[in-house]
Amino acid sequence: MSAALDRQIRPIYDALDTGSNKSAIVSCTKLLKKNPNNVLIKALKALALVRSQKIEESLVLCDEVLESKPTDDAVLSAMMHVLRGLGRHNDMVLMFEEAYKQQPLNEELGAQTFFANVRAGHWKSAQQIATKMHKQFQEDRYLYWSVMSAVLQANDPTTPPAMRTILYKLAHRIITSSPTPYQSNDRFHLHLSILRELELYDDAHKLLDSDIGRAICSTSLSCNEIRRDIWRKRGMILDEGKLATQRILDKHDRNWLEFLSILDATFSYFSSSVESSPSRREGLEQVEKTQELFTRIAEEDGSKDRSAALALLELEKRARNHGISKDSDRLVTLMQDYFTRVGDKACCFEDLKPYLALEENEMTGWTSFLQAVSRSFATPQELQRLINSHKLLRYNLTQSELSVEAETARVTLYIEQYLEGLKLGLNLPSTELQYADDLALLAANTFVTLWGLTSDEKYLLNAVTLLEFALTKSQQSFQARLTLIRLYRLLGAPSLSLEHYRAMGVKQVQNDTLSHFLLSRASTFSLASTGDLTLATECLESTQIYLSNSQEIPEFIIFEERLDNSLQRDIVKMEHLRMRLTHEQITSDVIDMELIELKFIFDRTHHDNRDFEIMSNYQPKISSDVFSQTNLLGKNESHGWLRTFLKVYIQAFQQGSDLDDSVEEKLLIGDRPKQSFGSDSRPPLRQRLAEALSKEELAELTQDELHFIQYARALAEWLEPYHDYTRPPPSVVLAEAAKQTELKTGYPLKGVDLAVLERSSSPSKKDEEPPAVTQSPEQVVRFFETLKERFAESQKNSSPVESLHIATLVQEALLLFIVETLRFKSAAVVKANKFGALVASFKSIRSDAITVLRDISTELVKQSEAVAKAESRKAFVDACAIVIARGIDTDFTLNVAKKVTDARKKVIEGVGKGLERVCSAYAN
Amino acid sequence: MSVLRPFKATDMFKFNNINLDIWTETYGIGFYLNYLSRWPDLCSVQEAPGGRMMGYVIGKAEGSNSEWHGHVTAITVAPEYRRLGLARKMMGLLEMVSDEIYKGFFVDLYVRCANSVAIDMYEGMGYSVYRRVREYYGNIGLGKGGRDEEDAFDMRKPLSRDSRRRSVRSNGRDMIVSAHDVS
Repeated sequence: MSAALDRQIRPIYDALDTGSNKSAIVSCTKLLKKNPNNVLIKALKALALVRSQKIEESLVLCDEVLESKPTDDAVLSAMMHVLRGLGRHNDMVLMFEEAYKQQPLNEELGAQTFFANVRAGHWKSAQQIATKMHKQFQEDRYLYWSVMSAVLQANDPTTPPAMRTILYKLAHRIITSSPTPYQSNDRFHLHLSILRELELYDDAHKLLDSDIGRAICSTSLSCNEIRRDIWRKRGMILDEGKLATQRILDKHDRNWLEFLSILDATFSYFSSSVESSPSRREGLEQVEKTQELFTRIAEEDGSKDRSAALALLELEKRARNHGISKDSDRLVTLMQDYFTRVGDKACCFEDLKPYLALEENEMTGWTSFLQAVSRSFATPQELQRLINSHKLLRYNLTQSELSVEAETARVTLYIEQYLEGLKLGLNLPSTELQYADDLALLAANTFVTLWGLTSDEKYLLNAVTLLEFALTKSQQSFQARLTLIRLYRLLGAPSLSLEHYRAMGVKQVQNDTLSHFLLSRASTFSLASTGDLTLATECLESTQIYLSNSQEIPEFIIFEERLDNSLQRDIVKMEHLRMRLTHEQITSDVIDMELIELKFIFDRTHHDNRDFEIMSNYQPKISSDVFSQTNLLGKNESHGWLRTFLKVYIQAFQQGSDLDDSVEEKLLIGDRPKQSFGSDSRPPLRQRLAEALSKEELAELTQDELHFIQYARALAEWLEPYHDYTRPPPSVVLAEAAKQTELKTGYPLKGVDLAVLERSSSPSKKDEEPPAVTQSPEQVVRFFETLKERFAESQKNSSPVESLHIATLVQEALLLFIVETLRFKSAAVVKANKFGALVASFKSIRSDAITVLRDISTELVKQSEAVAKAESRKAFVDACAIVIARGIDTDFTLNVAKKVTDARKKVIEGVGKGLERVCSAYAN
Repeated sequence: MSVLRPFKATDMFKFNNINLDIWTETYGIGFYLNYLSRWPDLCSVQEAPGGRMMGYVIGKAEGSNSEWHGHVTAITVAPEYRRLGLARKMMGLLEMVSDEIYKGFFVDLYVRCANSVAIDMYEGMGYSVYRRVREYYGNIGLGKGGRDEEDAFDMRKPLSRDSRRRSVRSNGRDMIVSAHDVS
């Protein structure tokens, strides 16, 4: 390339780097006029087009570049991005393979081809290329690439189990052929993991027992981890215990894993069931020795390290389990010692939790010990001790101790001590958490219990007021925010949840694990129907992470698998779809696009990455945790919920769409997602969609969702024959699509016969008669009346959540009906197939639905006018008597009241008015 | 008591109790994977026996010639597990690996000049200020600290290979470089 041209191309790269795709396209077009055959410019233009979502135009250029079989580095790297953007990983592999074939001495191209295969999950080809490269370039690295490819293939979820072993054996053969085994720990680790998988423990032990093996294990946590495992599997549990003792004594290692190794070794003597076996006697001696060891270390370490003190507790617990504990008071004594030693640390409660299952008489002693913890405090440490005593006491509360009176007394105490405790942190910088924060959280947990006991909303109002107050003192308390997000949703004030969610600064991978706090059943609160896309946008933004995550690193296959097939990803997708349909006009384009995506999702094996542990739970062990107690509508949706909704929508879209599988295959641009192992033996999609709902699926649905699902399935079953009869044949659909593409881009779609269109210009005459029109099923007709009654019932709740839930489900039912009947809007279709009677019954169902929806809309709008008045704010403040009596300012409470009532008004009014808009959009 | 173990990619699904803390940055996924793939032995996690993550460290090896060293990119402990000496243990591991495996001359880390609590802690672990880096951090709008908020101290601790202790200098606080001059 000339230097002049090179200078002209550079700004295109700059434009691409800064996201100025438009200007990149303009520059490319200009340059292409002068250099019409320059492949690099074409590739760059294709990239800019992909990034501007001009897929069809980019496809043309992309194919041109691929046909030229490029080998130039710059072209290849631009095309890599183009093909990735289009999801065409298989073409990327072909491109590199072709280039490498032309320049077989180019090592860099070899490596690129290897990585392209890895990215596309073509492990076998990757392995072959690596082997070839090893022969050719004599680099050890390539041999390990080849081993790794075999292992990755073995671990791929799509690999059948029998194949796994074969692949591991292959990996084993290659790795043992390596002349220089370990320049790095990774290779040592890889070798060990292969031996472990093949259960060649003796070989593994030989490796580990070498000087180099021992040296590596002493510095590498991961190699030591696998060593520990192999020793155990080889039955070297006593050796492991000895080594652990050495590490603890000589190297001062305080890794809890070492203590566990000693404990496991100690109790390995008792594995035999014979009462008086010699090993048992030896075991008893060993227990003594271990106890001495731990006691000595606990004394030496003092407050520096708590491992040995906790190990003593674990030793006693295991001794009890084996029936060899000598002293029935010892466990509680140790717990008290532990509390005395570590009680001023926040982790004390969590540390002691596993030991809190006590006998009744022990419980009395333990409880009175905790109750004796001083209620006054002058230092953060004393306060922490008190907080720990509260948490531990609360954890063991019995059902009879969980009365309204007792819980009210507790919450009062927590709040009083919380406010007192704030004084210790008056001078803390605003970035620090208050020492007393956990008391506010304990109080919030207690309020939730009280709400559960009484169904009285006032307890939640007290809780949000207290937590809002706590956030003014401890601005960074994400625990307070997490609880508030849940409570505001329960109260039907979703915009406040959103505010707190945003304040937490959730980003990157956290979108996957935490967005459920905001987006679970979020369509209940969506105002997309009114044009307010706030929540719909949150859905899209939270799922960006899955699109932008295309990594270059092959080792993290499990992680990638879990992220790509994230349950939350597709739950959010479903919520977004539900919002989208209220906002956009339903057309056959929308139906086709969504159908393709939902079908992909339906075949995924989902992983649940949602973080349910993040929210601190201080509820008694006999009750459910505070997260479950605060589930919106009492249900946490999961795999079953998603499958159920997917079935409903796929079925409806499939009926409404003209795309059958053969058409879809032709029109699809990117690669199909990889199918997991066993997918070919699955029954066909239609059959799977029509299967009865499983118990798991049913359990995750609310009563009203179940009504909706039954309605949807009855509707689909009723209309299936009419859709099937009316749908144009695939060749016609395809030709039509090709014609549209050509109109748009000026290029025809390859391999499609347009002549079919000529032949079928008149509505096709079919051989068989159209199916006879049957009456609309009862479940469809009755649905709207039933939900209307349910809506009326829900009006007695103080929180609007259930009303909104029902209202949005009725709306969804209407929209689904529109999807299902879109095909029959065409008068020609109706006439040709004699569907007059069918369409007449559609009309009556739709008008019934719209009548119900309009009633609900009117009712909601009326309510929204009442919820944010001065009286409702006053009622809120009156309801917050508990926190106000303890000293939370009335004005502050009034301010919270205003925010909550305004937020309620906003969502009730919005959903109400949105219903009306949807009704008018589809009234005719 | 805590388990010290390697940082795994899937730990990203459960590090929220650590990363929701204001002082802990959540980077893009590729950032973590890059570290885990290139310097897996310099990345570790402290975990409670129940499986809850307590803290983690992410480090790398970099520099040429006598500047070859271990670098602490991020070290963090969840609020509820502070004051238990966890950071010290993770640093200890990183120093040991930097010394014995990577044969680095020193370990270094960057800290806001205003963060006196952390500076004291690192000094207690044998680190000392080697130089001050101008405007290393973006302003996070905490106010008062002014220049000390944005400037970083590059703190170093010599390893066995640095037998002449070149990574220690008594006037480190006065040695000022701009952010462009450091990697």
